[in-house]
Amino acid sequence: MPTIIIDGQEIKCRKGIPVLQAALDAGMNIPHYCYHPGLSVVASCRLCLMEMKMPHPQTRELGWDPKLFPACQTPVKRGMEVRFNSEKVRESQRHLMEYYLLNHPLDCPVCDKAGECNLQDYAEQFGSATSRMVEQKQKNPKKDIGPHTLLYSDRCVLCKRCIRFVAEITGTGEMAVVNRGSRNEIDVFPGMPLDNPLQGNVVDLCPVGALLDKSFLYKQRVWLLRTTKSVSPADSRGQTIFIDHNENGIHRIRPRYNERVNEWWISDEARFGWHHVQREERLDQPRVRNSDGLRPERWEELPQVLRQRMQTTLGEGGGSELALILSPMMSCEEAWLLAKHIREMAPEATLVLGHVPIVGEDRTFPKGFVIKAEKCPNRRGVETIIEHFGGNTSTWSDFLAQAVEGKFKAACVVGGYTEEWVTKEVAAALAKVELLVVHDLFPSALDETAAIQIPSATWAEREGTFMNCDGLIQPFERAIPPLEGVKADGQFFYELAGETGLYRAKKVREMMAAELPQFAEVFIPCDVPRHAH
Amino acid sequence: MAFEPVLMKHVNVPNSTALTVYKSDGGYEGAAKALKMKPDEVVDLVKQANLRGRGGAGFPAGIKWGFLPPDREVTYLCVNADESEPPTFCNRITIETDPHMLLEGILIAGYATKTTIAYIYMRGEFTEQFHILQKAIDEACAAGYFGKNILGSGYDLECYIHRGAGAYVCGEETGLIESLEGKRGWPRIKPPFPAVEGAFHKPTVVNNVETLACLPHILTRGVEWFTSLGTETSAGPKMYCVSGPVNRPGCYEAPLGISCRELIYGEDFGQGMRDGKKVKVVLPGGLSMGALRGDMFPKNPNPDQPDPKQDYDELDCILDFDDVRRYDLLGLGTAAAVVVPEDVDIREVLVNITRFYALESCGQCTQCREGTMWMYQIAQRLRAGAGRVCDLNLLVEISQNLGMMPGLSICGLSDGGGWPVRNLVQKFRKEFEQRIAEQGADAAARRIKEINPAAYESPIRGYQAAEVHP
Repeated sequence: MPTIIIDGQEIKCRKGIPVLQAALDAGMNIPHYCYHPGLSVVASCRLCLMEMKMPHPQTRELGWDPKLFPACQTPVKRGMEVRFNSEKVRESQRHLMEYYLLNHPLDCPVCDKAGECNLQDYAEQFGSATSRMVEQKQKNPKKDIGPHTLLYSDRCVLCKRCIRFVAEITGTGEMAVVNRGSRNEIDVFPGMPLDNPLQGNVVDLCPVGALLDKSFLYKQRVWLLRTTKSVSPADSRGQTIFIDHNENGIHRIRPRYNERVNEWWISDEARFGWHHVQREERLDQPRVRNSDGLRPERWEELPQVLRQRMQTTLGEGGGSELALILSPMMSCEEAWLLAKHIREMAPEATLVLGHVPIVGEDRTFPKGFVIKAEKCPNRRGVETIIEHFGGNTSTWSDFLAQAVEGKFKAACVVGGYTEEWVTKEVAAALAKVELLVVHDLFPSALDETAAIQIPSATWAEREGTFMNCDGLIQPFERAIPPLEGVKADGQFFYELAGETGLYRAKKVREMMAAELPQFAEVFIPCDVPRHAH
Repeated sequence: MAFEPVLMKHVNVPNSTALTVYKSDGGYEGAAKALKMKPDEVVDLVKQANLRGRGGAGFPAGIKWGFLPPDREVTYLCVNADESEPPTFCNRITIETDPHMLLEGILIAGYATKTTIAYIYMRGEFTEQFHILQKAIDEACAAGYFGKNILGSGYDLECYIHRGAGAYVCGEETGLIESLEGKRGWPRIKPPFPAVEGAFHKPTVVNNVETLACLPHILTRGVEWFTSLGTETSAGPKMYCVSGPVNRPGCYEAPLGISCRELIYGEDFGQGMRDGKKVKVVLPGGLSMGALRGDMFPKNPNPDQPDPKQDYDELDCILDFDDVRRYDLLGLGTAAAVVVPEDVDIREVLVNITRFYALESCGQCTQCREGTMWMYQIAQRLRAGAGRVCDLNLLVEISQNLGMMPGLSICGLSDGGGWPVRNLVQKFRKEFEQRIAEQGADAAARRIKEINPAAYESPIRGYQAAEVHP
């Protein structure tokens, strides 16, 4: 680990990284636009210029070189000394900020980026209050460049991160610079809109408000948003995300840096995969079937009713005619709680891993980003838990086949899928079950035969952990309260198991860890401060 | 001793582009001689001759070749024939009249650097020249000067022409390489330098046409002949261009180190100004290198001690790689002088220069992209008779930020864009101030109100902000 001196401070840093990265890692706020740790270095914004001590060509004596060096392009070397706080560097930063604002419109009041805009921040921190530009401003057009994205090229600072992203990370290369010099503009090629499964990242990458997400356009001022750390349920990779929400509504999802999974990026599925949370059709109260069909029931009564019905249907014995279908959309804690409770009630109950949605094939991008075909977050976690409990277990297809033959008198089916999942075969098989308990987000064909219908909460309304396809256990936090009338899944299972008080995933995880030691440790990616992007 | 031209010796020879004509005058003998030596011996020879690159920076070609990693497997040679510096046309003459001299130079340089493929990156506007050179390459290939086992030496070299699409910045060596690779002509960040990682990620040498054209003569006539020409630090012949209202504009060959006055007034060169006018400005190295005051200014009483701060006639500047710096020029550049007579408004000159860089900046580095256009806009306003004295300070400041301090931008274009503007404003400040004084009292204010009312009315972005700014 080389030690270098930045602004008189000794800093230990990783070998071979650029000085700029070392400074950012050490918490220094160094202005930069074009540099991004996940992209190649172009050193064209010239904002991170620094002074460096170099040996004098004749005397070999170390002294400040008259030249300025771009910190993003200079790798760290043992014993090197650089500074950003000198008058010369500040002068250069001040001038550059003036240049950036020459043709930039003063439309911060209507710009979505305002409040988290690097141009605003740097102008305030490194710029000057006045502009000497009295000439006519150049106005570049606003463009619609894809199904999800707008480009307001008048706000663009030409850092070209977006171009490098589509060239290097997605390999699709839709964007390019057109024209020369100060008439440079970012654009897409004719007939080739920005439309790839990772395109939303260009909006996060944009340090100013040039690239905009259509679904977030003019929706919220960013300083009103609160942010929660979460894990995306979009696929089995467990991409870590930030949920930005306000007044119990989600407004957008951003990537959360994760060195072991998604790095700085997320797929569009993860980014836009929250609209089901706000769908009108969501189930919002538990209902129990009696002689005149499904009738609303109070949450308080529900555990009692459930137990009673089970007993009537199954009678005495080990409950070998009961099946518990655990969904790969559940968190590990929820699956463990429910499985444990059912097994305590009926030791011979069959545990089944429910439907695992698979769409297409895994897609790997040039720099290694993978979008999984498995569109659920916790298949592996639920599998681990079923394996742990052992005894009677079954696969989903075997279960369906047996159910058709009428092997099961009772079944508890946990759904929670974001998309429609009940096919005709599933509905037909489960129709043979006498007592069908359905725990799901949306109405489905199962409602026709369900004896008890329990609404569940979406992942953003719950907390817990998901185990991704590589066995990495990552916690997610609750962003918004559950829909009115809905009880968070964990809380309900907790009460079902006879526990009192508030369900806390961490508490349950500690209980789990006694039996399943791998749950003692969860993986939390390191925090990257905002100024470092 | 009268100087005998070598680079331009075939200019008036009929059918000089033909291989037979070139060979009849000792053509390809230098190459034959080089192929009998070891490659490193050729490099040493060029180092001894102190052949400095003719493209503008004057970096010694032999030393440049020495930067190639010794254990390389593939080397490329790029010939910079993207002659796009404004008043420069010497490479064009070489290609038009003596393409085989260039090809022989390529062969020698290729052999010395162990190159297997040479690319001639040619300015897109050179249409006729492309056909001439292509024909010469075909002829040379047929005669066995390119291809496999050249002249029985076991050395292979192929040569291709790549035509540019008309961008000034593609004359910068890494911009040229990017363009050659089929990408946008944006200069690369260095390191790695092209000698280590250039075209197609392989070690690459980029040399100017005129540099390579010198090589056959160094081999046939020897190092001593070469170093006997020119000045102590700048050896060899050089093709000087002179344009503007002189009696005989054109390209002339001379040993390095003639003075600017000689180039304009010399019998062998420009033969004086048309209509007996005096010179106001000379831009002696293309546009980028800066400006000299002409002979309409009084003579310097102490000619050995040039003082760019004083309003003296600077035509005594010696046009070699080093003396020009004493006159506050950036370098020799392409040694193509453009002469501006005394009756031209200095503001017109400024608009012309700033316009070129505003249109040709590639737009990668911020200060060059924004600064060049800003300077152009200011220059236009000055010309329209709506300048302010503070605009002159602003111009100097912007031009200084472009590249006066090295390292501010990726390539040299921004230095080249800033230097002549700063030079012009500093050296001709009196005239600028006089022109501004001749305007109406509130001309600037009225114009600014018209073009940018927000800036005029805002207390922060006010049109007087230039004066209050630090």
